[in-house]
Formats: sequence, C-alpha cells, structure tokens
Amino acid sequence: MRGTLNDQSLIYLQIARMLEDDILREVYREEEQVPSTNELARNYNINPATAAKGINLLVSDGILYKRRGIGMFVSKGAGDTVKEKRKAAFYDGFVKPLVKEGASLALTGEELVDMITKAMEEEKK
Amino acid sequence: MSAGILKAQGLCKSYKDKEVLHNLDLTIEPGKIYGLIGRNGAGKTTLLGILTAQNTKNSGDVTYNGQPVWENQRALNDICFSRELQPTLFSGPNNLKVRHYLKSAAIYYPNWDQAYASRLLEEFKLEKKKKISQLSKGQMSMVTILIALASRAPITILDEPAAGLDVVMRERFYQLLLEDFAQTGRTFIVSTHIIEEAASVFERVIILDEGRIIENTDTEELVGQFRYVSGRDDVVDQVCNGLRILSTHQMGRHKTVAVRGDMVKLETAQAADVDIAPMNLQNVFVSLCGHGDAQ
Repeated sequence: MRGTLNDQSLIYLQIARMLEDDILREVYREEEQVPSTNELARNYNINPATAAKGINLLVSDGILYKRRGIGMFVSKGAGDTVKEKRKAAFYDGFVKPLVKEGASLALTGEELVDMITKAMEEEKK
Repeated sequence: MSAGILKAQGLCKSYKDKEVLHNLDLTIEPGKIYGLIGRNGAGKTTLLGILTAQNTKNSGDVTYNGQPVWENQRALNDICFSRELQPTLFSGPNNLKVRHYLKSAAIYYPNWDQAYASRLLEEFKLEKKKKISQLSKGQMSMVTILIALASRAPITILDEPAAGLDVVMRERFYQLLLEDFAQTGRTFIVSTHIIEEAASVFERVIILDEGRIIENTDTEELVGQFRYVSGRDDVVDQVCNGLRILSTHQMGRHKTVAVRGDMVKLETAQAADVDIAPMNLQNVFVSLCGHGDAQ
C-alpha cells in the first residue's frame, strides 16, 4: 500500500481505490493476501470499521474474497475486474463530461472525434 | 471485559436558571470510537460529567446496562472519564503531583494496567514528582490521556485530549488510541475541537449543538450527505430545489450553497451544469453549527 488519504472523497472509497491500484500494479497478485483491517487502520490512522468498509466494497465487487480465519485474498481475475470497473467509471466520469463540455462549446460529434484522434496521436509520439 | 450500553434519556440540566442540556437522548453502543464535537459552551463537558455520574442532572435518566449510573459502583467500575486537568484547584494552585493522580487512578479503576501506565509515562517524558500547576497545557493533556488509556475501562471518555498537544503528539495520540482499540475493542468517547484530523478515527460522530444532540451518525455516512454546489444562481437554485440548504454565498451571479440531501437527489444534481464539491467533517460541522457566525 502507498499513497496518502485526502479529503476529496470518503475514506473507505479511498482505501478501496488504493487496494485496487495495488492489484493493478501487482503489489498484490492473485491468490495473495492483502493487509488486514487492523493493519490498514494502523497504517493510515483510521478507524478499523472504515477500513473494513473499504475491504467489504471490494468483496462485493468480487475483487477480494475471505478465507475464514486467515484473512482477505485477491480473487482470480481481480485485475480484469478492476479494469472493467474502472472502464465503467471512466465512461461516467470522463467520457460523459467530455461530451457535455463539447456540447456546451457547440462542437460537432466529428470535431470531438477528431480531437480525440489527434490527442491519441500526440500521446504516441 | 465487555462493555454495556450507556444510555441517556430525557436529560435536562440547568446552571441556575440557564438550561444547558435540553431533553437530551443519547445511546452509546459498545465497541465503537465516538467523536463528540460541539462549539464552545455547547454542553460537552456537562454531558460527559452527567453520563459518568460526576455531575448532577435536573431530570432524565442515565443507565449502564439498564441500571442507573448514579452511585452505582458496578457501573462506575466500567467507566473512566478522564477530565481536563486544571492548573488551579479550589482557590489555590494545583499542588497535587503527577504521581498522586496516577496513584488514585490505580486505586479507583479496577482494570488499571500499571505496566501500560509506566510505558506511557516514559514515552510522554512525564515526571512523576512534578506538580500539576508546573505542567504545560500539553503535558496536562498527556496525563489525562495516560490515565484514560491505562484505566482499561470498557467505556473510556476523554475530554479534549488534543488540547495543547503539538501536531506530532496529536498524531501519536490517535495512533495509541487505535492500537488500544484494535487490541481491546473497548468503547471510547473523545471530545475535540480539532475536528478534521480526528475524523478518520471516529466510527461515529456525535454533534452537540446548544444543548441538543443534532447528530449521532456513522461519520462517513454523515459526511457523504453534504456537498457544496456552485454555478450560475438560477441553475444552482433549480438543482438544489428539494435539498436542505444550510448556507449560501453569492458573488454577482455566482452562487455557492452548502446542501444536505440523499444520494439520489445529489446524483441528479451532478447531471446539471454546476460544480459539486465534497465536504469534510469540519465543513459539515460549520454548516450545521455555524449559525451564521462563520463567513
């Protein structure tokens, strides 16, 4: 785990996101154990109930699973699950606002697509 | 050592003819860290004193596991209220020494952990032979923290433990609190004015405003209900229709409002042409208890 907490979103969501980031970076690989609620609480100086809420969110998304009496583990295919989840969030959080902002500037669909294509080419260089 | 439920019902308290607590209900469930926040003079210390039978009430009940706490040794054995120390005692300087406080705590609290107390004494670099009146404000807070933690009481109440502590010590205090909580799972009630840095430690937050409890809620759930919405005034008004508006700032046609609403309404607000920003616990507190004093 890395990173620090900010007050831009709820803490349990930030905990969930940091664990997801670490799964994508293969800090935690499939079938490996992630830090316990108490370890997270100690590390970030947060209430264990909040840390548990973040972990439970990932359990309900199928990214982590519980081994009774041992702890929480990374599910098989968790990386792909995280990516799918992030894609959906990308659509809602970036693509939709992009289209909205484009419309408020009276850009046509073609102009918008051209801009995206141009940005993608610049990214390749 | 398992804590019971501490409950206040219909609590009223007056000092002379000024009523400071108005028909107040509060339930403290075991195994949680509660934050108690309220403005100066809101009645925090009075409430904590009455909950722990250290202060009298005019009417209402305080029970622990269903039994009244007043003069009930069995209940009081389970409850530690570590009050703020004062440099004066009665009409003179507080000449009691640190060791006197530790000794009486060791006698009074049946679960007193002497080894833990000694460890903390060393960590805090407190001298046992020093008089309370010779301590700095921060050192007095350390004594109250030490007593609270080492009491190992199933219900432990700290009144302003962060007062006078430097930022390093405050962080250390919250660390110690969480470490102890992870080990024992006992109930803590912590009052503080330094809200934001404590917010992540509190599972639940109790907001006391002018002698009334206006919130006793899961901290993140509470914070999640509030947003700042800003944009052109007519669009903001339209978006915030039906949401509870707590404060408004207008600058020309630009308007920012602090709102409270359920998630569904906030989501529809997100679709409109306005900026929506989250709040932190401190913002929430100012919105709820500012009463127009803050600009």
